[in-house]
Amino acid sequence: MRACLVCQNVDCKTRGSEQLMVELQKRVAAKGLTDVEVKPYMCFGACQEGPNIVIYPEKSWYAGVKTQDLDEITDHLAGGPNVQRLDTIDSSLKELIYQLLDTGIF
Amino acid sequence: MKGILFPQGVVEAREGLKEYLARGGYQALTKAVKSTPEEVIKIVSEAGLRGRGGAGFPTGKKWAFTRECSEQPHYLVLNGGEDEPGSKKDRMLMEFLPHLVIEGVILSAYAIGAAEAYLYINANYAEATKSITDALTEAKNAGYWGQNVLGSKFNLDIKLVPAPHNYVAGEDTAAIEVIEGKKAWPRQKPPFPVTVGLFGKPTAVNNVETLANVAPIILHDADWYRKFGTPDSRGTMIFSLNDDVNRPGIYELPFGTPLRYLIEECGGGIKGGKKIKAIMPAAPSSAFLPLDKIDTPLDHNSMREAGSGLGCGVVRLIGEGTCIVEEVLKISEFFTVESCGQCPACRMETNTLTALLKKVQQGQGGAPILEQFSKVLAFNKGKGFCNLIAMPGPPIESALKLFPADFEAHLATGKCPAN
Repeated sequence: MRACLVCQNVDCKTRGSEQLMVELQKRVAAKGLTDVEVKPYMCFGACQEGPNIVIYPEKSWYAGVKTQDLDEITDHLAGGPNVQRLDTIDSSLKELIYQLLDTGIF
Repeated sequence: MKGILFPQGVVEAREGLKEYLARGGYQALTKAVKSTPEEVIKIVSEAGLRGRGGAGFPTGKKWAFTRECSEQPHYLVLNGGEDEPGSKKDRMLMEFLPHLVIEGVILSAYAIGAAEAYLYINANYAEATKSITDALTEAKNAGYWGQNVLGSKFNLDIKLVPAPHNYVAGEDTAAIEVIEGKKAWPRQKPPFPVTVGLFGKPTAVNNVETLANVAPIILHDADWYRKFGTPDSRGTMIFSLNDDVNRPGIYELPFGTPLRYLIEECGGGIKGGKKIKAIMPAAPSSAFLPLDKIDTPLDHNSMREAGSGLGCGVVRLIGEGTCIVEEVLKISEFFTVESCGQCPACRMETNTLTALLKKVQQGQGGAPILEQFSKVLAFNKGKGFCNLIAMPGPPIESALKLFPADFEAHLATGKCPAN
């Protein structure tokens, strides 16, 4: 099972991450992606650049996601290409968060 | 033991105005209004009084900063929020020695040039609130506060504000927010309350125990006060012991008294006769100390050198056979629940630490999980409006350092080594 984690901390929420998560769940279901679970995550620590979405275990991080980006992200989840323009997060933060996810806390 | 605040040792009975006057009560105020506010600040500074709410900031300095602000008016806030788990010293001071506290409030307001003081008292403290309310009436009728205090030009109005019962509500700026009628959310600092505080004006926020020390200092003088304690920590401090010792209660001891004396002579040792595994001198946010630090003097410098702190004096004992992983998980969960949620970094940190500790507890930690704690703490350092974000660090990091076997046992078996 792959996880598509959508940050639900204060900043991301005020930028609409709740609606993004619901919308993404609908699109993933509509595409029949049964191996993907779209779910909330407490925080990735990139508050200024949210809403943030991390796909695990493949470790893709999309920042500043808007509703109009969701089709491309769904395509990626279905095996399509990475959405390069949303991959803007600093590598040291990525490393910190990916190590945390590797411990199983999600 | 005889102390400064409780001269006959801790007596659990309310001291009324008559008894207080009989032991020199309000004579410090009589003396102060005949001298200048600057003189009062000078004496308190020379006495070396430091805040008893946890940070240990020099009180005279706080007052001087406030007094020197040209912006008017100035306000005084007595912080009796007391939400530290296991702390009961402020409640007992307000309940049993209300006039000592009130005289400290009046002296402090005089020193900083405030004509209004707010007494911010934990809403669960019915007895303390009643005791203070009654004492305020007695003191007002006797001319100790109100218009022209003791015939001087000093006017003072005092108001009571109930403090919500949650952890961050005891933080200085959260107290100010509540008094202004808002949610108990700490403010970003700077600016500090001494320059921009209550209603945006210069404000001194002082802990109950801190202000209880003021009248004795003014009455006797700074040299007398400096005879108690150590060079960096003058006077006495009230320590709270709870159900983990044979004689729970509050104990007023001169700074520098060995921790062993508090635990063994005052508290009667750990309950059940177990061996002590760890000591938390400022629960729940201090580092654990191992048993071989039991002779550390109870003062700010010595505790810092030993690797921990004094906080507001809630001393907890962890007995042999208790698992440290379970203890730090409880502490971490406490901070997760008590984080007010306004700073994203604090929510991220407290939730992540708790999630990591739960994984350790259940023996499910993948990857090098024990290395993640310090990384999460370092990433979030200094990112919150208040100090709560710094609080889970010392207990967790000291536990990892002092008791690695407990963590390893959980990770290896998923079971608690204590059970």
